[in-house]
Amino acid sequence: MRGHRSRTALINAVPVTVFLIVLFIYPIIGVLSLSLKGDNGAFTLHWYTDALSGANLSVLISTLRISAETAVLSLLVGFVLAHAIARMRPVFAALAMLIVVVPHFISALVRTYGWIIMLGEHGLINTLLTSAHAPGAPYSLLYNETGVVIGTTSVMLPYTVLILQGVMRGVDSRLLAAAAGFGASRWTIFTRIYLPLVAPGIGTAGLLSFILCLGYYITPALMGGDQQTVVAALIDQQVMKQDQWNSAAAFGVILLLLTFAGLGVLGLARLRRKKAHARRSSS
Amino acid sequence: MPERTNSLTAGKLSADDLAAVLAPRSNAPTGKSLSVTGLRKSYSGTTVVDGVDMEIAAGEFVTFLGSSGSGKTTTLMMLAGFTEPDSGTIEVDGRDITALNPGKRDFGFVFQQYLLFPHMTVAENVAFPLTLRGVPKAEIRRRVGETLEAAGLSKFAGRKPRELSGGQQQRVALCRVLVYRPPIVLMDEPLGALDKKLRDQMQTEIKSIQRELGLTVIYVTHDQEEALVLSDRIAIMKDGRIEQFDTPRGLFEHPRTPFVADFLGAANFLTGKVEETTADGSTPVRLDTGGVLKARPHPCAPGQRVRAAVRPGKLRLVRAEESCCSGTVETAVYVGSLTRITVRLDGAAPGTPPLRIETAAAPPRPGERVCVTADREDVSVFDESDGG
Repeated sequence: MRGHRSRTALINAVPVTVFLIVLFIYPIIGVLSLSLKGDNGAFTLHWYTDALSGANLSVLISTLRISAETAVLSLLVGFVLAHAIARMRPVFAALAMLIVVVPHFISALVRTYGWIIMLGEHGLINTLLTSAHAPGAPYSLLYNETGVVIGTTSVMLPYTVLILQGVMRGVDSRLLAAAAGFGASRWTIFTRIYLPLVAPGIGTAGLLSFILCLGYYITPALMGGDQQTVVAALIDQQVMKQDQWNSAAAFGVILLLLTFAGLGVLGLARLRRKKAHARRSSS
Repeated sequence: MPERTNSLTAGKLSADDLAAVLAPRSNAPTGKSLSVTGLRKSYSGTTVVDGVDMEIAAGEFVTFLGSSGSGKTTTLMMLAGFTEPDSGTIEVDGRDITALNPGKRDFGFVFQQYLLFPHMTVAENVAFPLTLRGVPKAEIRRRVGETLEAAGLSKFAGRKPRELSGGQQQRVALCRVLVYRPPIVLMDEPLGALDKKLRDQMQTEIKSIQRELGLTVIYVTHDQEEALVLSDRIAIMKDGRIEQFDTPRGLFEHPRTPFVADFLGAANFLTGKVEETTADGSTPVRLDTGGVLKARPHPCAPGQRVRAAVRPGKLRLVRAEESCCSGTVETAVYVGSLTRITVRLDGAAPGTPPLRIETAAAPPRPGERVCVTADREDVSVFDESDGG
């Protein structure tokens, strides 16, 4: 009976396995071998040392920095938005969610140009700020890191809002009322009850936007300046302009490893929680 | 199942231990008195609580008893401060607290849903109210340890609430309140989610802790038995009003309204007309079905239409006497310690329910002719216009 069942399971798994091998494993192995092959076809780590030194390294670092800034900013904005949405009545919450998500049905290219129009020196935001006599206006909000982070944050926002909102809706508001009943201040309730309860969501949302941002291309390319070259843009440059596939492959592998590292951190945190949990249970 | 057994046996010891741990440091009686005047609340035009007045003494165990929608929980939530009353005042030891936030009232709350903080361990949950009160860390550790020890929960101190059974969780919730010794504890159906056996045991625990600490407890339930077991006084709620606020015995033996008479332990209602008051001061009622039933003295004029209420256990089967009511036995069902009999009175209008009688004496057979009467102390009289 069991043998029969496992055989059926095996047969069912075949299409997926074939699909993954052909379209995922094979290309990855291809990229990996490409990144380890010299011009003469021999094994070399040259492309990696190249990628991790000089100007390339600073591109990598600025990519990490932009991703981290995006993760933090989208968490902050996302938290406020999600908190507001989680407290709305269902109809309004659905409407608000729609407003957050719908811009992402539009092509990323169009959306980015929208931002460029908004953020330019004579764009809507600077015009408003100038007429309001904000000190230092107009600000340069485009073709620098500020521009890139504004753009990428807007891309990541729906993910953080969706994740955080889900977690926040799961928080039993009666727990907060109970804490208030014991005499807790609003700040205490927020820091000691609410934040710990939504913490898993914050971790997941933050890491997700960080990872997504690592490989993001369009927004940094269009809204950044020369200083804001990201790894994805570098890969594009090397393949399209320099026909340098080996170096591009090395960058690809590095990005993949960074992503895995991020997922590893998240997994490790979960594992530690589980272990601590198991320790308590057995004690 | 070992945990379950544990919680049951541990509980037996816990109540007295818990009280012993908490009591020595409370020199004065812990409880405070509570006075409620004209409390009202309505939601979008529907009146939920319609003028509640009550005086609760320090150290008293008071229960709001009523079916769902009677306004009992809303009243409790207003006392707690979670719901703002439309009008009325709440005073604790003479101090008006109507406008205070729940946290400022220094009450304790135990809810049906426990509401333990899921991300905190049992010990952290119990420590929470103390940390808010700025109690020194060492003192917190000691008091939490003692409280959990007394409640038989020491070995669960490091666990998360979800790893505990329902009874254990409710005991933690109780510890979390008792650890900071609030003068008044409000409980909203705290045992509603537990099974019968555990509920009985927890009732005993709650009652003995309350008595030993002299806590003022205000309790909400729809379970009559629970209310009778726990309470010094019970407020029977109906349609947002207190029908009667009295001791369990007072409610049972001297119901003030037909509703109370029927709500607590069922009653037979008989309509009739008041006759001339007799020399012994009782109120004789000539029943529409024939026969006369003597009732407790009741201020009413001869000739007035009334309803007499008698509990099934208080009706007696007698040989034909002057003031008994004759009828025919319909059914007689033996239910262990007593027999439940239904009797159709001669002249009863079709459609009216038969009399319900409970007797421990040798029961008559169905079809047998009987005569029914009751002691005058067991017969309550209500004006016919009274609802219920």
